[in-house]
Amino acid sequence: MMDHRNDFSNWLDPDTSLKIFKCLDDPADLVRVSCVSRTWRDFVVENGLSKQLCLRMFPQLSRVACVVELNQNGVKGHAEVGSSRSMESLALWKDHRVFSYFARFCLSPIAMDCIAKAICASSTDNFPQESIDQTLEERDNIAGRFSYWSSSGQSNPNVPETLTYQLASQICIIKEINIQPFQAHFQMGSPIYSAKSVRFKMGHLKASLNDLSDEMFVWTYTSPEFPMAQENRLQKFMLPEPVLCIGGILQVELLERVQRQEMDGLLYICVSHVQAQGIQLSPAFTVDILGPSGMFVLKRDHRANCQPSATSEDESGEITTDGDFQQIVDILRGHAMGIGAVDGWDEEEYEVDDFVEDDDVL
Amino acid sequence: MAQEASSSTSSKTISLKTGDGEIFEIEASAAKQMKTVQRLIDDLGDDITIPLHNVFSKELPKIIEYYKKDITGEITKDFEAEFVKDLNDDEVKVLFLAANYLDANKLFEFLSQNIADRLESKSVEYVRKYFGVENDFTPEEESKLREERAWSFRGIKEDE
Repeated sequence: MMDHRNDFSNWLDPDTSLKIFKCLDDPADLVRVSCVSRTWRDFVVENGLSKQLCLRMFPQLSRVACVVELNQNGVKGHAEVGSSRSMESLALWKDHRVFSYFARFCLSPIAMDCIAKAICASSTDNFPQESIDQTLEERDNIAGRFSYWSSSGQSNPNVPETLTYQLASQICIIKEINIQPFQAHFQMGSPIYSAKSVRFKMGHLKASLNDLSDEMFVWTYTSPEFPMAQENRLQKFMLPEPVLCIGGILQVELLERVQRQEMDGLLYICVSHVQAQGIQLSPAFTVDILGPSGMFVLKRDHRANCQPSATSEDESGEITTDGDFQQIVDILRGHAMGIGAVDGWDEEEYEVDDFVEDDDVL
Repeated sequence: MAQEASSSTSSKTISLKTGDGEIFEIEASAAKQMKTVQRLIDDLGDDITIPLHNVFSKELPKIIEYYKKDITGEITKDFEAEFVKDLNDDEVKVLFLAANYLDANKLFEFLSQNIADRLESKSVEYVRKYFGVENDFTPEEESKLREERAWSFRGIKEDE
């Protein structure tokens, strides 16, 4: 057992210092504390301070069942050579390596659009011209053709709509969601078909799907409700805290209709663009969701030591989905459009991702 | 078993004597917030001057000031900010140690957070000097650590 007392500090003992270290809320400071001396570094590791800090920043991490390191050859903690380390100690060092690396991403000022694909909309008026895919396109007018999604019409303003998307990475930090409602310039009065308010959900695909029952997804985060303006601009909805989305599914809920279409007297909601600003944690991190419990395994791939940087959607290697998931996505899209599986789709555009998960599958 | 100090008069004051021989008065209800002091009162009685060997005349008035505010329920974020505003890092250190010795929980918690805040973006060398810790990494280990952690070494404040 290490005796910290003598070399810890000339005025701090382990208990009082623990008090101070637990107050540090910036991962960079905790890292610097662990660079002060061997004793302090061991102290940070053995008290699980990196993990605790990450948990405070992202309560969603409480669902981590365990942590796995991949492709670790040659990467060992400084003090790990030699066999004197107990299992518990090895686990603590592993936690420290993984969570202190995780914390890097939290500090990144870089944010980019994390939406990779549209999955389905609760309803669509004219398919495919007004499908949810149009919301991935930033412009609302491309060479004279309008690009927007439209819900079906309703006489009851309280019928909500949802737009469900797949994110570029199975594990992302989402900070803000931006939505531009659609203004129909081709109609009299140029009405703007916004919703009264919006809400966001994040989660993962249910582990086992027997049929296309009501809820395909498990939602692990629901945001507060944000009022939406009836204005034709990209409106920013900043989440109260950055949220860790595990499972890569984002749903936008559009609550309450405000605009009636003169032609048929029905209320519609139309959206021209949706973006989810945040940070992708793949390929450095991936997750395996464990069955119905919603617990997950956090995997750190040491081969992928990239800084969080803007990557284009073309780097589809980062979208960690397996064949089953893609099939379900395609069925959902077909189901939502009221047509067969992948009929009528330009299949070249939406190919199955060829990145294959490790042994553990959903 | 020591009897609880009588709280018959709310204006009862306790005399505290610092390690450098000065005497300060504090209300009994404020003294109660400092568990070490309360223990001494329980053992020695509340009429006697309580000796505090490890606390000195520089810091005790500040501590008394804090608890005076506390018993009237007036401690606000603004008060706390003002309280530490003109203290340098060493003065906070001394107060923190005194609060620890006196087992004055509320002040101790507040000062822990304040020290953590002061460490924000300070360099590793500064932290070592502040806490009086020796660097026992080898130069190779140290440069490897710096390399790995390069991202966290940006944005360091100039050492005061």
